[in-house]
Amino acid sequence: MPVISLFAWLLVIVFLAFIACMFEDLESDVGSQSNPNSQVQLAPEMGYIHRYYNKAISGEGLSYALACTIAGTIALLLLLKFEPTYGPRAAILAIPVGAAVGSISHMIRASVCYPGRESAHKRFEQPIYLDVFYGHLVPIATHNFIAVICITGIAYIQSNLTVLSGVSGASNPFPLPLLCLIWGITVGAIGSSTGDIHYGTEREFQDRPFGEGRRVVYHGQICRYGDCGIRTSKDIVAFCAKYGGPATGLTFGLIVLFENWRTVIGMMLGGLAGAAWNPGIAAVSGIGLGIAVAIVLIVLNTWLVRWARKKFGPFVGE
Amino acid sequence: MEPIILAIILVCIIIGGMLGSLGVHLLPVGGAPAAMATATGIATGCVMLMTGSAVTGLFTASTVAAFWESNPSVLLVSLSGGVGAMLMMGFTMLIANLIYIFGAGVVPVSGRAAVDPITKESQTEYKTPRTDGHGVPNVCFYSGMIGGLAGGFGGALIYVVLESDVYANFPVAIAAVVALGIFIANAIMAAYNIGGTIEGFHDPKFKERIVTGLTCAFVISLMCGIIVVIAIETGVLEAVGGVL
Repeated sequence: MPVISLFAWLLVIVFLAFIACMFEDLESDVGSQSNPNSQVQLAPEMGYIHRYYNKAISGEGLSYALACTIAGTIALLLLLKFEPTYGPRAAILAIPVGAAVGSISHMIRASVCYPGRESAHKRFEQPIYLDVFYGHLVPIATHNFIAVICITGIAYIQSNLTVLSGVSGASNPFPLPLLCLIWGITVGAIGSSTGDIHYGTEREFQDRPFGEGRRVVYHGQICRYGDCGIRTSKDIVAFCAKYGGPATGLTFGLIVLFENWRTVIGMMLGGLAGAAWNPGIAAVSGIGLGIAVAIVLIVLNTWLVRWARKKFGPFVGE
Repeated sequence: MEPIILAIILVCIIIGGMLGSLGVHLLPVGGAPAAMATATGIATGCVMLMTGSAVTGLFTASTVAAFWESNPSVLLVSLSGGVGAMLMMGFTMLIANLIYIFGAGVVPVSGRAAVDPITKESQTEYKTPRTDGHGVPNVCFYSGMIGGLAGGFGGALIYVVLESDVYANFPVAIAAVVALGIFIANAIMAAYNIGGTIEGFHDPKFKERIVTGLTCAFVISLMCGIIVVIAIETGVLEAVGGVL
């Protein structure tokens, strides 16, 4: 029975991971952070005056590691203060307050970025639009809050998994802020690696031919007009939420699912920390399962690339 | 502490750092141009990607290391970390390809090789003119998986020798932070050595620069290892309580 409880908690973690990474990617779209922001940065130099939000605090991994670690540290401090009095109920207060502090600090960094970067473009006659500035801060903070609260929740569950599931040895030995740092870096790295493609390749160059890589000569010539009126970064989110965001969430969800799944199956094969517990068998089983999943991934990718080559065919055009 | 134990710790840190550097060189990193499908590889920086995959491996390695009450198996914990990082790279590259193919209609193709060295599929006629390739083709996928395995193994190796009670016996959180620090130092130097984008082991850049990269990693890891040895001997990083 405790094993079923452990798997149930793992699925909760996976669900939170999916939501966290999806909102991380959408937050990077609404604030225009990371790699595709190079085009927003370049656009005024190419004569393309735009109304995109221009936020490049740092790489997504680092900015999310910072926001999540701040959230985890505040949450841990509140837990240390209130858990002796209120017990596990202290988490109901600690996690949201920690996430709120993390997302407010992220919003402050985002608010400094926009005037700083756009004022540097004065020589290219790029104005600072105050409605763009004010209008994007709340979506940045709210998207970030959802991502950070999910990461803090994941870290809290993982560091208390033994108590929650009843399986001894299931908790991760790392403290809460360190787990937040680890998952913050990972969620940012994944959001930057996968979700950015939908924004950078497709949405920023939507007026260019579909189905080809964006040529170097297109760089900086971003699409500035929406379905109605002039496009802002808020219009990006609605588009990317249909494919890029969920796909990014799926990446992180699958990683967390299979990483935990192979460890737990390994623990079960190793005797589940009981009298017959054999850590060597548990570790080897986990490694074997991981290699099997990796082989499946290689086969899937080979098949996918082959399918795309057959379906799309060689490049046609100039 | 006995000199032989200190020497083993130093050697493991150097091997871990060099494997981390090798892993970064093997990743198909396209940087910002890859986000616009202007370059082959994954659309982020070397350090970000390698650190993201290595910490995923580190998470699993920490759980596996806790299987043993004392003296965890260095090889099995390191392998667990390596496989974790490899899975992170695999899922990231697969879903990135899904977005390239179904979100942008782009065929994954290498910009540095006319023919895929593994699958022997021709590349040039599928490439958009005036780009440096796009997507994650098969050879880059294989290279990325090997890179993730090498990097994750290296990071977890440093962690386990620092955490193990037979070796450095640091508290788990301190061991993780120190391992992460050494790993990121190596990853940043490797990123400087690559200088932009790289596709993997088939890229001519790899052969040109790998020796310099590994030499730098050796020097950095040696210096970090000496600092760790000093910390062990002086006892400044031992468990002292507090919130950690």
